[in-house]
Amino acid sequence: MQVICISRGTLTGGKVLAERLAGALGYPCLSREDLIEAAVKEGIHVGKIEMAMVKGRGFSDRLVLEREHYLAFTRAYLCEQALKGQLVYHGRTGHLLLPGVDNVLRVRVVADQEYRLKAAMQALGLEREKARRYVEEVDEDRRQWVHTMYGVSCDDVSQYDLIVSLQQFSVENAAAGLTAIAQLPDFQMTPASRQAVEDLRLGAKARVFLARDDRTYRASFKVSASDGVITVTYLPQDAGLAESIPPVLESLEGYRSIRTTMATSNILWIQEVYDPTSEAFRNVVEVATKWGAAVELMRLAPGSAEGAAAPGEVLEAFDGTIPQIQPSSREYNGGIEDDVAEGGQRTWAENGGLKQTVEELARQGRSAGGREVRGSQTHLLEMIDRSVPYTMVVVGDVFLSKGSAAQLRLAREFRSYLADNIKTPVVATDELKAQFLFGKRDLFRLIGYLAVVLVIYFLVFTHQRQILSFLSGEGWVMKVVAAVVVFLFVPIVAYSYGTVSRSFLKLIKIE
Amino acid sequence: MNFLLTNFIELDLVTALQVILLGFIGGTLSGFIGSGGAFFMTPGMMNLGVPGIVAVGSNITHKFGKAMMGSKKHRELGNVDRRLGAFLVLTSFIGIRIAVWINSALFEGGGDGHGSGTSAASNLYISAVFICILSVVAISMLRDALRSRDTTAADGPSRKIANLLARLHMPPDIRLQVADVRVSLWVLLGVGLATGYLAGTIGVGGFIGVPAMIYVIGVPTAVAAGTELYLAMFMGAFGAVNYAYGGFVDIRLTLLLYLGSLVGLFIGAYGTKVVKEVMIRSVTGVTILLCVVSRSVAVPAYLRQLGWIDMNPEWDAYFNQASKVMLFVAGFVGAGIILYNVTRAYKRRRRIVATLIEAPKPSAGSHG
Repeated sequence: MQVICISRGTLTGGKVLAERLAGALGYPCLSREDLIEAAVKEGIHVGKIEMAMVKGRGFSDRLVLEREHYLAFTRAYLCEQALKGQLVYHGRTGHLLLPGVDNVLRVRVVADQEYRLKAAMQALGLEREKARRYVEEVDEDRRQWVHTMYGVSCDDVSQYDLIVSLQQFSVENAAAGLTAIAQLPDFQMTPASRQAVEDLRLGAKARVFLARDDRTYRASFKVSASDGVITVTYLPQDAGLAESIPPVLESLEGYRSIRTTMATSNILWIQEVYDPTSEAFRNVVEVATKWGAAVELMRLAPGSAEGAAAPGEVLEAFDGTIPQIQPSSREYNGGIEDDVAEGGQRTWAENGGLKQTVEELARQGRSAGGREVRGSQTHLLEMIDRSVPYTMVVVGDVFLSKGSAAQLRLAREFRSYLADNIKTPVVATDELKAQFLFGKRDLFRLIGYLAVVLVIYFLVFTHQRQILSFLSGEGWVMKVVAAVVVFLFVPIVAYSYGTVSRSFLKLIKIE
Repeated sequence: MNFLLTNFIELDLVTALQVILLGFIGGTLSGFIGSGGAFFMTPGMMNLGVPGIVAVGSNITHKFGKAMMGSKKHRELGNVDRRLGAFLVLTSFIGIRIAVWINSALFEGGGDGHGSGTSAASNLYISAVFICILSVVAISMLRDALRSRDTTAADGPSRKIANLLARLHMPPDIRLQVADVRVSLWVLLGVGLATGYLAGTIGVGGFIGVPAMIYVIGVPTAVAAGTELYLAMFMGAFGAVNYAYGGFVDIRLTLLLYLGSLVGLFIGAYGTKVVKEVMIRSVTGVTILLCVVSRSVAVPAYLRQLGWIDMNPEWDAYFNQASKVMLFVAGFVGAGIILYNVTRAYKRRRRIVATLIEAPKPSAGSHG
């Protein structure tokens, strides 16, 4: 199984390149238009979704469901095509439909403005000015689509393996170059990447089943699958539909069991080794329970992150000799380490407590599934499904093979890197308690600020006339003094009393 | 003239509790709706006998501290576009200054010189702006809510205005990084001026600022709310200093408002997580509309005090009372629905573990 995703701009020649590449490799070629056609046949109102995005309108409840259906359907469709063998896909950002599949070759095709203008003038018979406007408008629509669907910019070059400009590069040569690159070990199928596609297909297919059925089509669901176990989370207002989920999915092929749970949002927890008896686990579950969230685990396989180059880091100087082709920092391993023993049983040490922790979360009604990933920080970002709106990302113990000081520094840098790249708050597991749970520190803070508030209110309400007399004094000096006092005094009261009320609500678990 | 002392409001326990309740309801509505809650608190205080200008001054001072707390949280979540905020702040200051100037001028020149009538012109002016602006906001929200109930409707808030203004090409354009939009400087200045003027006149900024940012500038909702709070912090500070300089800030009222509003704010914000969008818009629209009606009921008394209509002065008390009852009905209805939903969600959370369903795939034989 090999997947090559070509992200084409407006009239950049990406389509021609994709078709030429598919021909050269002997792979089937799938376009976004094919995908849309299949989605329309499925009954999805793609036009309405597109119009709402292009016009920058918000989404009605109905359209949110259409979008979920569309994403699940296109993902399932792409995965099914990929599982049949090889595939060249060309469209907007097809690789974003396959998060966590690490052998996808992601190519962006660009061309300069002049090339595109000429292409528009020739293809559409437009005058230069109209062609320019057309190219700009379609570019903007595409940007808007990718941004709304996946929360990323299609112009962000860091998400592609290669950028190909057809300005000084013929389509034939570009296709030949890509054919050679596609042979690199980094882009070959591994059992792990196959499993990732299987999981994505199963989760997406389950979501499609729920969208098709009369009993469940009106509700919003988050569905994921891991190793044959489907996890479905639904919103509290759809609790009445929970019993219908297993019967709806009964005819779905390839799953072992279904877990459904109610959750208003998802928390992503990244760590190397999980332990369901640890304090970190208790804290995460407590925060999740408080927020009505489900917890998705992403186990960072040991040694994979620190072995990779940090963003911007140069691994070694190039000495002019062409190195022998080696698998790159994604730790290509032929999938040996990811093979699961007969019966799917791996020891605690082998899976880093992932399986047991997912089981425990499921028992507590908080599981949104779990998976293992390997690779660099950049690679990890690709594994995160951008179509899932996470409330928070929790980062636990990572870089465990390093010394404690290096571990602290690297973990801090890792959190900063994640925070810079995903629009979700990122916190460390040891900060959870201080930030979201009521502890001793909160108690002292509550008592301290409460004392300050009581003193302020006592003084003000026992000296009402004196204070009002001061505040409405005559003469500009008194007026300026009164204004300065109000300016300084009010934030102190707001901060003190705000801390008291927030701590109190935290204590009674309303946040 | 020592204004605050000559118009001294005796704050006995009952009055103080009423102000705290106003703060709590205003805070709950504010946390839920995302505006400052002044639409409820300002007329509420006026109904308790607080002169309009003192009610606005005390409330805008209260808003300063509250917005400071809120914007801190939004900044942590990356919802604040500081560049947008900076442009709006500068023009808002001019807007607030104009509002304070008009308010003060009306206050000095208004009334028939008998007792409470000295602030009648200012009260009437504040009420008129309040009624006009919030009627439009409430009706738009209700229309939006009704439209989004239609499940076949494909669209949310329209960007027609933003697109139209973008097509007009009024250079220079400003690129707003966080909001991810490009907008004409002149549009920014206009929005800032209008927001500042309304914040300074009726203490209501968010109701204009947030929709203006969404509909006119094209900013995403979360960024609009975050930036509005950032803006409100500066506008609140500027308004507070201006009103304090004029001697119109009753710090006791500000402190009492805080007692209720900050607790209500957190509860209201929690409510937004558990209530559907249609319900949020409907509750907001109905509540504001009832507030508008409440303020309208008080208008005849101001007109009489200005000598513009002939009416028995004893009726002032009835109008004031009716307005007060109406306002409290509005607040209680809105806050009641929100608190009901929050309580339901709180209880539901305790039942959540029981929601887990585990279903292994039925074996082939079981299908028969």
